[in-house]
Amino acid sequence: MEGKPKVKVAYFDFACCEGCQIEMTNFGGPAFLELLNHVEIVEFREAMTETTDETIDIAFIEGSFTREADRKRLESIRERANIVIAYGACACTGGINALKNHQNDYKEAVYGKDADMPHLDSQLALPVSAAIKVDYEVNGCPMNKDEFARIVSHLLHGKTPVIPKYPVCVECKLSENVCLYELGGHCLGMVAKAGCGAPCPAQGIPCEACRGFASNPNEKTLEKVLKDRAGFSEERAKTKSRMFTANCRYDAPLKDKE
Amino acid sequence: METKFINESGFQDFVGKLVESRNLVGPVAKRNKFVFGEINKYEDLRLDYDVTLLPPKKLFFPPKQDILKFYGQKGESCIDPDPQILLGVHFYDIKAIDMTDLLFRENNEDYNYLANRECTTIIGSNIQNVHDRAFFGSVGTEVEPKGHDGFLTKIEGGYVFEIITAKAKELLQFGDFQDANENQIKQAEKVNAEVLTKCSEKLNNTSAEINKKVRNSFDSKIWEKTAEDCFSCGSCNIVCPTCYCFDVQDDWYLDQETGVRARSWDGCLKEDFSEVSLGQGSIENFRETRGSRYRHRIMRKATYLNEKLGGPACVGCGRCSSVCTSDIADPVNVINQIMEE
Ligand code: SF4
Ligand code: SF4
Ligand code: SF4
Ligand code: SF4
Ligand code: SF4
Repeated sequence: MEGKPKVKVAYFDFACCEGCQIEMTNFGGPAFLELLNHVEIVEFREAMTETTDETIDIAFIEGSFTREADRKRLESIRERANIVIAYGACACTGGINALKNHQNDYKEAVYGKDADMPHLDSQLALPVSAAIKVDYEVNGCPMNKDEFARIVSHLLHGKTPVIPKYPVCVECKLSENVCLYELGGHCLGMVAKAGCGAPCPAQGIPCEACRGFASNPNEKTLEKVLKDRAGFSEERAKTKSRMFTANCRYDAPLKDKE
Repeated sequence: METKFINESGFQDFVGKLVESRNLVGPVAKRNKFVFGEINKYEDLRLDYDVTLLPPKKLFFPPKQDILKFYGQKGESCIDPDPQILLGVHFYDIKAIDMTDLLFRENNEDYNYLANRECTTIIGSNIQNVHDRAFFGSVGTEVEPKGHDGFLTKIEGGYVFEIITAKAKELLQFGDFQDANENQIKQAEKVNAEVLTKCSEKLNNTSAEINKKVRNSFDSKIWEKTAEDCFSCGSCNIVCPTCYCFDVQDDWYLDQETGVRARSWDGCLKEDFSEVSLGQGSIENFRETRGSRYRHRIMRKATYLNEKLGGPACVGCGRCSSVCTSDIADPVNVINQIMEE
């Protein structure tokens, strides 16, 4: 791809822990520099000040949309970007931030006496797609760097990346793990979106669906299996998947709008 | 065909010698289950296994297999077979391997499979413990296990070794084998016949009866109803020894010049399996409901391939039944229900 103009990319972040940016650095220096040969970073808050308002080929957005005040900034990114990629659970599904969507005492619990400071005000934690159109998502908490590279590579070659719709169980089975249900445990792999390679069940840790749901997740049967096979109480089975999927579940706050 | 006998301690030495001179693969323990894996010493080999998590086809058709490395416009095949001895395959899996052999050989021969398959020596072994979901005793009883090179049966005091091909005969040099006597041969026959009666699950009809009735039940309500609890997780496909569908994807390495084309096992229960492009970014799914996908697998196992394979494409290993977290995949349950409809 020598001689081709470099693809202009920019990074933006909203409500998140910036862990996905750190995950990016886990590529290791030389490997990541190879990718950088093909792109030109025009904005990266961590490393540079926001300067340009020129057109961007790919905008990467990290973090949830949780303040109405951020809508304008998101809209202006969308206007300038040919492709918008949300990366990390916060940006793709609202992620762990969305745990607050079904609670009302979080401000006091987190900020104590500062709870009423105006800059701490926020509304529902929502995916970026609740404000603007998102073209591709790199799921996971943190995002999966290999999937990130795969999606970007496909776009650099003008191809449409193939993103799994099927559940994590597929990848878990392909790796020949012993299913946690066979070990007396529980797992959300049957409804979680694949693409991570099932690292958690491979280590004997239940999948928490950090990548959000597979398409058409069978939430009703999940509750049934959690009760019948893992011995969960009715209440625990009902709320179990909330950690990462509060905005994806049947009882999500904006479900009707989707 | 020759039949040999080797006593228990002779067998241990035999396995030890094989380990020294060949790539030996067989059933090994993994947590509370078994998998086909490398045998490094006699103690690794668990011929008392009931069933393995993935079927032995993974040794010629890996769950994820590189098929091509590319450098710009140039490509290079990844076929690079490594001779191996696969020891301890149960007869139901031998039947299944014979089916995938046929399926990968017909029309365009699939060298990515065949190259690995042809350099594998397959030695079967009798079933010492029956998996609680197995039903090999009542399915496709008209289909003979074939295509393997030898078969071991544990009897009192040692093993009877049936030599079927030269590949198995060549292994005799590694052990102190004698000709089996008539009594030993009879004992082995008895062991292998008796195990067929030990499954707790059982189909109530012949393959021909099932073939006809299931095919005519395309419009039955049972498919959608049973599949209400389906996660479309494809686990029932992935663990099945006769499933042979795969998906092919290209990936570039970070340098964006070189990359790899790989295939991985696919499954018709997955929602994306039946999606096709209509162009301009639009997609159509030709088996859109869980029920239609669930029906397709059972049809493939019980009827669609029967003519080609000479019997059903299910060997009764029970793997699908045991991996289905909501326990709806068991062919015995659904087929017996249909037969009574
Ligand atoms: S451990 Fe979890 S992901 Fe793996 S097969 Fe079981 S339910 Fe699925
Ligand atoms: S296995 Fe589940 S929790 Fe673990 S990375 Fe994958 S989706 Fe996230
Ligand atoms: S039948 Fe069971 S194993 Fe098969 S896709 Fe449905 S839930 Fe998964
Ligand atoms: S359909 Fe189920 S029981 Fe039959 S061969 Fe496949 S995995 Fe085994
Ligand atoms: S049952 Fe489905 S996945 Fe398996 S071989 Fe047949 S069509 Fe393919």
